Amino acid sequence: MSTPKYPKSNQMSVGSIQCDNTTLNLLKANDFVAKAIREKLSDVLVINVCSSPGSGKTTLMQETGKRLSDKLNLAVLVGDPETDRDAVRMKEVGINALQIVTGGMCHIEAQMILQALDHIDLTGVDLLFIENVGNLVCPAAFDLGEDIRVTVLAATEGDDKPKKYPRMFLTSELMVVSKADLLPYVPFSVEAVTQDAREVNPAIDVMAISSLKGDGMDEWCDWLMAKVAEKKASLETA
Amino acid sequence: MHEISIVRNVFDTLQETYPDKFDQITKVQMEAGLLSNIQPILIQNAFEALILEEPGLADIELEVVQLPIIAHCDACGQDFEVVRHRFVCACGTPSKKIVQGEELQISKVEFFGN
Repeated sequence: MSTPKYPKSNQMSVGSIQCDNTTLNLLKANDFVAKAIREKLSDVLVINVCSSPGSGKTTLMQETGKRLSDKLNLAVLVGDPETDRDAVRMKEVGINALQIVTGGMCHIEAQMILQALDHIDLTGVDLLFIENVGNLVCPAAFDLGEDIRVTVLAATEGDDKPKKYPRMFLTSELMVVSKADLLPYVPFSVEAVTQDAREVNPAIDVMAISSLKGDGMDEWCDWLMAKVAEKKASLETA
Repeated sequence: MHEISIVRNVFDTLQETYPDKFDQITKVQMEAGLLSNIQPILIQNAFEALILEEPGLADIELEVVQLPIIAHCDACGQDFEVVRHRFVCACGTPSKKIVQGEELQISKVEFFGN
């Protein structure tokens, strides 16, 4: 960078000041790439799945893959600061998956998705999940070119989270309460978490699911199928 | 959130936008909506840290203006301030039509010149 030649404006006694009122968006680089992803994946339903670490995103992806494999062509891009463990888990159940190692970063940025698209075959894919890095703060600010954002909140995390992490729940279309089979054993009220989330986002849908026991999985899969159908219908009318 | 990279981004953006008069910049004003998770004091600290790397920036004043969250209510047609992330209008209608609060931008640049 070059060196400014003049002193701080508030210390200046002489000279004149020109002022330029402007709007320079500081997330423009990410938003520009997100737009490119949206154009590139115009015929695929893209769902950005966010949550804290350990809420059960990967297990939900695995079980969803098993249930929908004969109905949908599904793929997963999964982000973690380190290791390819999650992608390995997906591949074990036959899911077309690619690991994005963020190299310590706490969220996925659009550029990482765009690069990942060169390394995964999405021919014929109807539904692409982006399993974000476990974090309820930073991923909320980064548009990845998705159609829908879904936030997963495990019953073990507590029902007071939506107001603590408002931007995440504000930008999500659906909140999945995971590990619902543990609801009888933990002080977590689906009613209370729904009310908390709807004060931030009145339009948010809520679904309680146990990936391991299967409760709510039919409703979740039906919801996904309907969203894929909606996307395809919007392409036909466009 | 990520204040160091945001501050870096501010000056990269300014250099790109004002290649001819970047060195005449005396003051920069940023606007950060409350939903952007930006803490002004941390931006100032990050700026001080960046100055250690880029001493030339020491003469620039950086101001961070926080913008409250404003939403629009379709029921009564009014804009209302969202306090404590409660997206409900005074008339009782929920709304998340955000008019203001997601900004993360440079809003004003002052130059020394004639």
